[in-house]
Amino acid sequence: MDAYLIAVGTVVLIYALLAIGLNLQYGETGLINFGHVAFFALGAYASALLALRGWPLAVTFAVAAAVAAVAAIPLGLAALRLREDYLAIATLGFSETVRLMLQEERAITQGVQGLPAIPKLFGALGGARADLAIFVALLVAVALAAWATHLLKTSPFGRLLRAIRDNEAAVVALGKDPARYKIQVFMFGAALAGIAGAFYAHFLTFITPDQFVPLVTFYVWMSIILGGVGSVRGALAGTLLLVAFLEGSRFIRDLLPGVAEVQMASIRLAVVGLALILFMLYRPQGLFGKRGG
Amino acid sequence: MTLVEVANLVINGLVEGAVIALPALALTLVMAIARFPNAATGDVMTLGAYVAVGVQGALAGAVGGQLFALGIATVVTALACALVSLIAYQWIFRRLGRAAMVASLLASIGLGFLIRSLITLAVGTDQRTFSLPLVRAWNFGGVRLLPNDVVIAAVALVVLALVFAWLQYGRSGRLLRAVADNPDLARLSGIRSQRLMWLLWALAGALAAIGGVLLGVKSVVMPELGWEFLLPAFAAMILGGIGSPHGAVIGALLMGVGQELSVPFVGPTYKIAVAFAVLFVVLMIRPAGLFGRPELVR
Repeated sequence: MDAYLIAVGTVVLIYALLAIGLNLQYGETGLINFGHVAFFALGAYASALLALRGWPLAVTFAVAAAVAAVAAIPLGLAALRLREDYLAIATLGFSETVRLMLQEERAITQGVQGLPAIPKLFGALGGARADLAIFVALLVAVALAAWATHLLKTSPFGRLLRAIRDNEAAVVALGKDPARYKIQVFMFGAALAGIAGAFYAHFLTFITPDQFVPLVTFYVWMSIILGGVGSVRGALAGTLLLVAFLEGSRFIRDLLPGVAEVQMASIRLAVVGLALILFMLYRPQGLFGKRGG
Repeated sequence: MTLVEVANLVINGLVEGAVIALPALALTLVMAIARFPNAATGDVMTLGAYVAVGVQGALAGAVGGQLFALGIATVVTALACALVSLIAYQWIFRRLGRAAMVASLLASIGLGFLIRSLITLAVGTDQRTFSLPLVRAWNFGGVRLLPNDVVIAAVALVVLALVFAWLQYGRSGRLLRAVADNPDLARLSGIRSQRLMWLLWALAGALAAIGGVLLGVKSVVMPELGWEFLLPAFAAMILGGIGSPHGAVIGALLMGVGQELSVPFVGPTYKIAVAFAVLFVVLMIRPAGLFGRPELVR
């Protein structure tokens, strides 16, 4: 049971890293990133592939963050100077393209078979102790990310980001170039997703392109909406609720013998879809947010 | 590549482009008037394909001829999806009209998920096919033309012609263009927009549905059918210039031909990636697209 709780806790923290990045992009700066899972996938594959070639994990984690951040640059250059919905469409296309490449470039990624036997993070400690160590390391990473976001928010840079979100024309009038700041935020969020991907790969030790479908992006959107857009605490609470739902749906399936896993996947998709609609209609401020806040 | 191979690819691309033009037109009209990219369009296409497979199956034996049954199924499907689209507007997008664009966009993603999951819950994830007469391709010295492809392209072109004639000469079509062009001016001129919005959403649903049926006829019907064509349709809309109906059609034809011509180089599975590449290049060098107005872009 302890092992199970630690495994679930690890998943919560990985989603939390994704949520903190997306919250900074959308909640603070107003960037509509519909391709978050692509940066997650790039981080996971970059770190896993290098680790399989014998690189030390400390290096592969840094590479994962760098690859994801660099991948964000051309997208940012193309879409961030335009209307906000262009970024949404471009990132959505990017995430499907990345997934397709992971699936098709078999020579590098082994395609749909996925990458097995990825070195486990803290693998030298052995089984349960390694899992606990990963959990603690993730806890530190999430705390650092939350702290960095907090510093960023309260700094002049953070004020500028909120100004961009609320009135971009005014920021331009002050002689600032919003696109530059937007690209920096976009890269920072992508780097966090890349690190989350590295943790994911070296925790599960097995990744396939199927794990990086667009639904994952909208799980993260769902968790920041649940918690109330723009607050780190909200993002963490939302992530907890989301994973509780995902895990809970597994138990429900065990209780209902007639329901196959395929149908359960459909039901999860239906719940997320319906929740997105209902939250937009009735509680755009999230469960804990204040109306108009 | 020989000239004959190129000709075959171009023909196939034009057929596919004519089909993508239908959802691209729906996207660009909704974008011009309701002002958000409707990500549920792809899954409405899927819904259309499944409804039409079901209706054609139910009609089998009752009416003569597979194509005739398919024709009836297409009309029924267009009406059904127009209704679904109207309900979605009444329930969701009308109420989000005054909220930020992102609310409608996220809700449309949610609606797409909901439609797709309800389809798979209702009929499972197995692939379906339309029953079609088996016919041999016409062969003009190596240039092949499938009779079914000719029917598909003809249906798409007739539907497009009807919509364009309505936009150009129909009374409400012209009002719709006026609202797309300048909503405030349209309102000041006394255009009552509520009825127009219903027309718009019904039209968008019907267009997506017919596009889905034609895609299903061309390949197979599966739960990801429409989702996989959402990105090419988005790319076609942006290539043509957002809000420009004829731009969407020309963009879709170019996308279709471009996707097919890329197949010998990158293989058939990279179609979505080609759509993304087109999208990316257009955003970099000419975000207003071929026929769009630059002031709508920023």
